[in-house]
Amino acid sequence: MVRQYELIYITPPETTEEVLADIHQQVLTVVERFGGNIEKTENWGRRKLAYEIARHRDGVYVLEVINGPGVLTTELDRRLRVLDTVIRHIVVRVDEELGVAERARTRRKESMATRRIKRGLPPEPTEGERRRHAEDDDDMDGGMETGFRQDRDRGER
Amino acid sequence: MSEMDRDSRGGGGRGGSKDKKDGEKGGRRGGFFRRRRVCKFCVEKIDYINYKDVKVLAPFIPERGKIQPRRISGVCATHQRALQTAIKRARQIALVPYVTE
Repeated sequence: MVRQYELIYITPPETTEEVLADIHQQVLTVVERFGGNIEKTENWGRRKLAYEIARHRDGVYVLEVINGPGVLTTELDRRLRVLDTVIRHIVVRVDEELGVAERARTRRKESMATRRIKRGLPPEPTEGERRRHAEDDDDMDGGMETGFRQDRDRGER
Repeated sequence: MSEMDRDSRGGGGRGGSKDKKDGEKGGRRGGFFRRRRVCKFCVEKIDYINYKDVKVLAPFIPERGKIQPRRISGVCATHQRALQTAIKRARQIALVPYVTE
């Protein structure tokens, strides 16, 4: 049973390329041992942390999308916990949720197509229609931009 | 009979959803105008609430860092559940705070 997981780990901001490559190599070894593969690796670079982790305010984020069996995650989790170059990590199973989203999308598309055909229109909306609908949209909630203002909080301290 | 009534009323209301805006809801609390709330995720047709995308989550996390309740943001139940897990995951990897003083 092959599943898709997303692994994100955070390393201290001063981490060198070699250390990152080493962690990646370790992850890869574990994944391959269980017959999985890494679909993609994304380095988000240095980011501000929302709260302090091990006295760090910044961290280097790395995302790995992994395909493999479920037993892989326990081993991965165990390995990453002992590495002190990784200050935080998380493994999330994503195939199910992405599947749900995909199904919802196709269902919506189909029902839109059937409704449009009943009205004697082509199944896909034309470019002109789409633009008109975008202009109609006047009941967007405007008062919701109250973020948590991370940056300002940081500056005060 | 009563069922029939309800059905017909429901059918009539469908066309005039815009009238609801300043109808029963707004008039109740001392003439206070309340905006008709719509689920942001339904409107924008977002099926998967990505926990890695802070820009999507931020509007639902007020100053304090708590998750905004549905009754304020107007998010539908399905999406609120998805949003909840997304925010909780984002907290784990420090993209979003647990609390802010």
